[in-house]
Amino acid sequence: MPLPISSITIPATREAIAPAIQMPGDSRTSGEFRGVLEGAINSVEKSGAQAEQSVSNFLSGSGEELHTAILATQRADLAFELGLQVRNKVVAAYQEVMRLQM
Amino acid sequence: MSLFSLLSVSASGMSAQRARAELLVENLANAETTRTPEGGPYRRKDAVFTTQPAESPFSSIFESQLGRPDGVGVSEVVVDNSDPERRYLPGHPDADKDGYVAFPRINPAEDMVDLMGATRSYQANVAAISSVKDMIQRSIDLLR
Amino acid sequence: MLNGLAGKLEQYLDLLSARQKLVASNIANADTPGYKTQDIDFQTEFQNAAAGLGPHVIEANGLPVRNDGNNVSIDRESRLLAENDLRFNIASNLMRDKIRILKEAINGGNGS
Repeated sequence: MPLPISSITIPATREAIAPAIQMPGDSRTSGEFRGVLEGAINSVEKSGAQAEQSVSNFLSGSGEELHTAILATQRADLAFELGLQVRNKVVAAYQEVMRLQM
Repeated sequence: MSLFSLLSVSASGMSAQRARAELLVENLANAETTRTPEGGPYRRKDAVFTTQPAESPFSSIFESQLGRPDGVGVSEVVVDNSDPERRYLPGHPDADKDGYVAFPRINPAEDMVDLMGATRSYQANVAAISSVKDMIQRSIDLLR
Repeated sequence: MLNGLAGKLEQYLDLLSARQKLVASNIANADTPGYKTQDIDFQTEFQNAAAGLGPHVIEANGLPVRNDGNNVSIDRESRLLAENDLRFNIASNLMRDKIRILKEAINGGNGS
């Protein structure tokens, strides 16, 4: 049974990191890979939300320091890049496993 | 309370010191003025400073726990209403019937020293603005 | 991401900003009658990893009070102004370096 990874509602990070690839094969293997990807996506989304909040606070003049907002943005960027790399590795590993199973 | 609020604080310091300097200069220029439109000799003026919260157009009503930073403002200008200094100059056009002329009670040396103090404080406020600009620029550089 | 030493660096930047704001207030009020120099206990605040709340503002002690009740020393505030600026410079550069290294580490294995 195919397990599409991306969800229907599309936050940008989710779409970038988890393309709607079909993962045929036994659900246990796909489930583990999916778990790793979900973890990466959650981490990226969390730091992205934090960055947005921090920048928004700064812009609204409620007293957030500029360097705090910028560092939150950098954290989100780093999380995103790491997430991309994780996706690349996971997809490659999955494809390798599928190839071996053929 | 963002670093940007520091700009408002130092700007208020500059305004206050400049107002003070203007009054001191007026005092010095009128140290010998015996006749004013209001009648009588020139009376020494002084600026009274009070701590005021520094506002900035970008700050919102809901500031952080530390609240608005302390700026400064001139709350009032006091005029010296003490008795003028009386000098005996019978030939002076402003002399009264006893030959005394009323002069402003001003010590130019004192006001000169105060003026130098005001200038120095003004410059310190300018230095504060310069330093916060530097710190903000470094924060921006964190993005590179 | 960016925890540990980088987290401490960010805290350092926060404290330096807070301190610089007080220095600016002190300078602006250098001639205000009755005004007392404000400061924060930098060492204590930095060691207590109490993030979230702003640092505790205290009155600087050991400063002579003049006739009008003011105890601001322009010399002290000018020195602190320069020192905070410099330290902020150092900390932000260290932070920038950390970010750069992390990015390189993450992208080091790219193109898989």
